[in-house]
Amino acid sequence: MDHTKLKKRPPYPFETIAVAVAFSPRLEAMLNEAKHYADAFKSQVVLIHIGDKDQLKEETLETLVTNIGFNKTKLRIIWMQGDPTDTILQLCKLNMVDLLLLGALEKENLYKYYVGSIARNICRRAKCSVMLMVHPQVAPKRFKKVVIHGVDNLKSVHTLDTALYFARTEKIKELTVVQELDIPAFMLTTADSTTNSEANKIKKEMVEEETQKLQSMIDGVDKQEIEIHLKTVSGKPGYAISNYARTKSYDLLVVNSPDTPLGLFDRIFTHDIEYILADLPCNLLMVHSRV
Amino acid sequence: MGKLTHQEFISLLLAMGAMLFFARLAAEGARLLKLPVVTGEILVGVLLGPSFLGHLYPTLFAKTFPLFGEVGVALDGITKISAVLLLFVSGMELQMQLLVKQGRAAVTTSLLSLVIPFLLGFSLAYYLPGSLEYVPNDGLLFALFMGTAMSISALPVIAKTLMDLNMLKSKVGMIIIAAAMFDDLIGWLVFSLIISLLGKGREVSLVLLDVSVIIGYGILMLTIGKKLIDKSLPWIQKKLSWPGGVLSLSMSFCFFSAAFTEYLGIHAVLGAFIAGIAVGDSVKLNTKAREIIHQFVTNIFAPLFFVSIGIKINFIAHFDASVTLIIFLLASLGKITGATLGARAGLFPWRESVAIGFGLNARGAMEIILGTLALQVGLINETIFVALVIMAIVTSVASGPVLRWLGTGRESVLTRF
Repeated sequence: MDHTKLKKRPPYPFETIAVAVAFSPRLEAMLNEAKHYADAFKSQVVLIHIGDKDQLKEETLETLVTNIGFNKTKLRIIWMQGDPTDTILQLCKLNMVDLLLLGALEKENLYKYYVGSIARNICRRAKCSVMLMVHPQVAPKRFKKVVIHGVDNLKSVHTLDTALYFARTEKIKELTVVQELDIPAFMLTTADSTTNSEANKIKKEMVEEETQKLQSMIDGVDKQEIEIHLKTVSGKPGYAISNYARTKSYDLLVVNSPDTPLGLFDRIFTHDIEYILADLPCNLLMVHSRV
Repeated sequence: MGKLTHQEFISLLLAMGAMLFFARLAAEGARLLKLPVVTGEILVGVLLGPSFLGHLYPTLFAKTFPLFGEVGVALDGITKISAVLLLFVSGMELQMQLLVKQGRAAVTTSLLSLVIPFLLGFSLAYYLPGSLEYVPNDGLLFALFMGTAMSISALPVIAKTLMDLNMLKSKVGMIIIAAAMFDDLIGWLVFSLIISLLGKGREVSLVLLDVSVIIGYGILMLTIGKKLIDKSLPWIQKKLSWPGGVLSLSMSFCFFSAAFTEYLGIHAVLGAFIAGIAVGDSVKLNTKAREIIHQFVTNIFAPLFFVSIGIKINFIAHFDASVTLIIFLLASLGKITGATLGARAGLFPWRESVAIGFGLNARGAMEIILGTLALQVGLINETIFVALVIMAIVTSVASGPVLRWLGTGRESVLTRF
């Protein structure tokens, strides 16, 4: 394949969907979800298993693929050995994958959090969009409530476009964009030298400024029939939206992929996406903008 | 056990009342003039202290602020507790994530804005201590302290200046804030090391042990300690009285941590600072609770601390123009050059790099706290202390106008970049 085509390739449409296959109890559910999205987005499907290939695994996968009803002309199964994270990332690149589906636990234990699970490590380094599914279903249901992380970043417009594409395909009528208000050292600054009304005014002006930026981004995209609501929440970036998605019971949280690959330091000094990965509030779609 | 007599207790109450009352008046004046509040508080101390009131009306001064005997001990205790609490709230606002998030420019700016002033301060104090009119007991520790004093920043003043200029959320603002946080953190760690080495000699094993203890304690608190705080805070905020539960337990945690580091021979302020980082970094800490802790410390203990400085030290008798000028020039040159070069290395254009340099030059309250603690343990004399306070005030007052001037006609560039 010509990998130079990957550059500047927009994050959608999802022409190729890959699924990381682990022979866990959730395999059937994950494959059903993959079939659901492959049908919806009219995508090719690549099933990737990193590990030993034996007859039992082959038979299990073959049976599931047949029973679920995958279109075999648009399906490829790749068996590879190696480091799961590196190999999956490499295969996604080689096969020009647009969306990688991964099953993930809502929360990892402390050791795994710092060492990093495969799904989360892929998210930290992926060069394609990734969907982490916390509750894959054998009978997939369409998401109803989708929330988008509204951050002041050039990539956000691609994330919003991708979320709209996803929503149109999945017949979702409305989306919520949430921006977070976090002013570093605000308390330290205002505690002794600002009246209550001044502090509120400063906060209000900052919210208005951020809202204006987001609103102009929203106004600039092709929404068609989909309604977009804009909300502001206070708190640390990443944690605030994660908390919002959890308390409001959203089905899917859509975020930008990290600007740079994330490492151990980002977990020790947790910030942004790491707060979300630390305790997934719902399914997560991380949009990777290659533009 | 000594205890306060009826008269002494009245004196203590009057002293505290006067300090808080005049400090508030000065703070409001400073606010109107758009000056850092600490400027007003220091000025009140100087006016109420031996520099003016004590000089003009010595009897009235001695009666109002009896610095010796039991009242003096009580006031000293209050000042020390104030320093501990001030470091606790400073730690609460420290976000190391900002440094990690801002990437290369933040790292280069932080490092150079720390290393260059440190080297300048260290070199002058070590090789030319006579230029500061001081013969230290321990030349190396004095030089290490001067290096630290030149490299520390003042987050509250810097953040307020950036907020006034609407630059707090800009790229330039975020780099300044991230670097100031980093400089503060390293500054306090180095200062703690200096304190731990006082009177211990120069054995490498002892130094390594102290460094390991300081770093180990920090890591422990910021990993396991932070996780425990994250687990317990929601319960505390939900089940205990509001805001009493979270307020008293946070303070209790701060004092325990401060007592532990003081016991280890480091300094109580480091324990408080690390406890503050651990509590403040918790995403579970309710915004209102954070605000209450800040209000409580910043409006009661901060004025007591800063006013007490002027009450204890005669700023006029200990003022030395040449020492003050040397310290001011050294501090400004080191910080502005270091931060500017650091920002340039982080690929900022020259004008923005210079703005970052001047933005980081404000020293404010942190420098004054650092100087006070150094004076208390005998690392510096009153003349150097007065020079450090003046340098801290001048750099804080100047940072706003300089940043505004650098942004004149190009404010959009500074705020947008």
